[in-house]
Amino acid sequence: MKSSFLSIIIILFNFWNCNTDKKVNEKQEYLRWIGDIEQNDQIDEPEFKVCNGNEYVLQYFNLGEGPVYSGEKSKILNIFKSKYRPISDKTQNGLIRIRFIVNCDGKAGRFRILQSDYDYQKKEFNKEIGSQLLNITKGIEKWEVFKRNEAPVDYYMYLIFKITDGQLTEILP
Amino acid sequence: MKYFYFLILLFHFSSLLAQPNCEAYKYLGDTLKYEACKKAMEIRGHYQFSKEYQSILDESIAIDPSFDYAYWAKSIAYLKSGDFVTWKKLIDKAVEYNPKEHLGYRGWCRYQFFRDYKGAIRDIETLDSLVDYDIGQSQNGTYHLNIAKGLCYKAISEKEKAIAVIQNQIKLNEEENFVGPYDYLHLGVLYLETEKFEKAVETFKKQSKNNELAENQYYLALTYLNLDKPAEFKSCLENAKELYNGGRKMLDPYSNPMDKIYFEDIENEIKGFTTKSE
Repeated sequence: MKSSFLSIIIILFNFWNCNTDKKVNEKQEYLRWIGDIEQNDQIDEPEFKVCNGNEYVLQYFNLGEGPVYSGEKSKILNIFKSKYRPISDKTQNGLIRIRFIVNCDGKAGRFRILQSDYDYQKKEFNKEIGSQLLNITKGIEKWEVFKRNEAPVDYYMYLIFKITDGQLTEILP
Repeated sequence: MKYFYFLILLFHFSSLLAQPNCEAYKYLGDTLKYEACKKAMEIRGHYQFSKEYQSILDESIAIDPSFDYAYWAKSIAYLKSGDFVTWKKLIDKAVEYNPKEHLGYRGWCRYQFFRDYKGAIRDIETLDSLVDYDIGQSQNGTYHLNIAKGLCYKAISEKEKAIAVIQNQIKLNEEENFVGPYDYLHLGVLYLETEKFEKAVETFKKQSKNNELAENQYYLALTYLNLDKPAEFKSCLENAKELYNGGRKMLDPYSNPMDKIYFEDIENEIKGFTTKSE
């Protein structure tokens, strides 16, 4: 009983953390780059490591190849098509972004979620929608390994899900 | 086409080209904007995502909170990192203070990064209503903004409107010898989807001459299938495969363009055809 109560507290804490972002007009301290994700031992898998240090994590587009997926994007589309269970609800509309790091081995970690309505205003989706998308994304075992000067690099990647009436209508980029 | 690629190269450095002329503000007597502009120019040499770049622009905004350029420049990293919430707040400020300068950009980004079709149409059409000059190209130079608008109409199932908009813009582009790298392809796909097969073939052939792509041969194959020409269908799929393997396919560094295909699509059509023939 004690351990299940603790688990619920941790899950709630993690969910809150995943949804916390700074407001634009607040005086803010920037990290190295916009969108950087620091390791948070309370929510991130301890086994996940970046290979070349946090200061060298690139963006997926820095290598000029566009958004590349292991097995092409059709594989990603098929995964979500087969695993996502739509929630039929007319109030569930907007965008969900899941951003993460892909390391030099093609493994992903440090997942963060951002949600908004179609007017780009922050909102909370039905938790079942967010958690499904997060879990499916986490379940993708292999991402494309990018190389720079023959050496594999770590990079930031994201998926944006368009949700209309609880249905998953598009996956970007 | 060569002329087009030269301009595309220029567009690649468009953030440099888009830099404001600070002296103009001074000339106009707007000293606050002049100071904000001078501060903003200190971003040179800093990466758009970096804290140095962002902090300089914060200082610029602190000098003149109505300096649109600083909001626009700040917004880019948020856009590219997929932070649509922060991006929208920043770009809205830029649009508020200088709509003619930023509406087309915001409309294009809505489409390119977030597939916000209705929002993109709204921005592009608002810009068109505000100016009496050509509304110009998308930020990356790939499309005239009217072509992008046409693609958005297609996405919201207004295909005849999309055809009319794209046809009209292509005609203007042809007059300027400035047809975009995917213009005919998109129009051809629209003809195919609306069962205007002969027009589709004609348009895909224009695309072949302008900029041959795996996608073009793939959709041409599908058109031939509808015209009951199996030999041409098969031959075009083989061409599509070769082009795809040779890297001659649609590309956008940030997103997957509309009408893009994957290798699996070509393979599935070939397999389907082989199975039917057996």
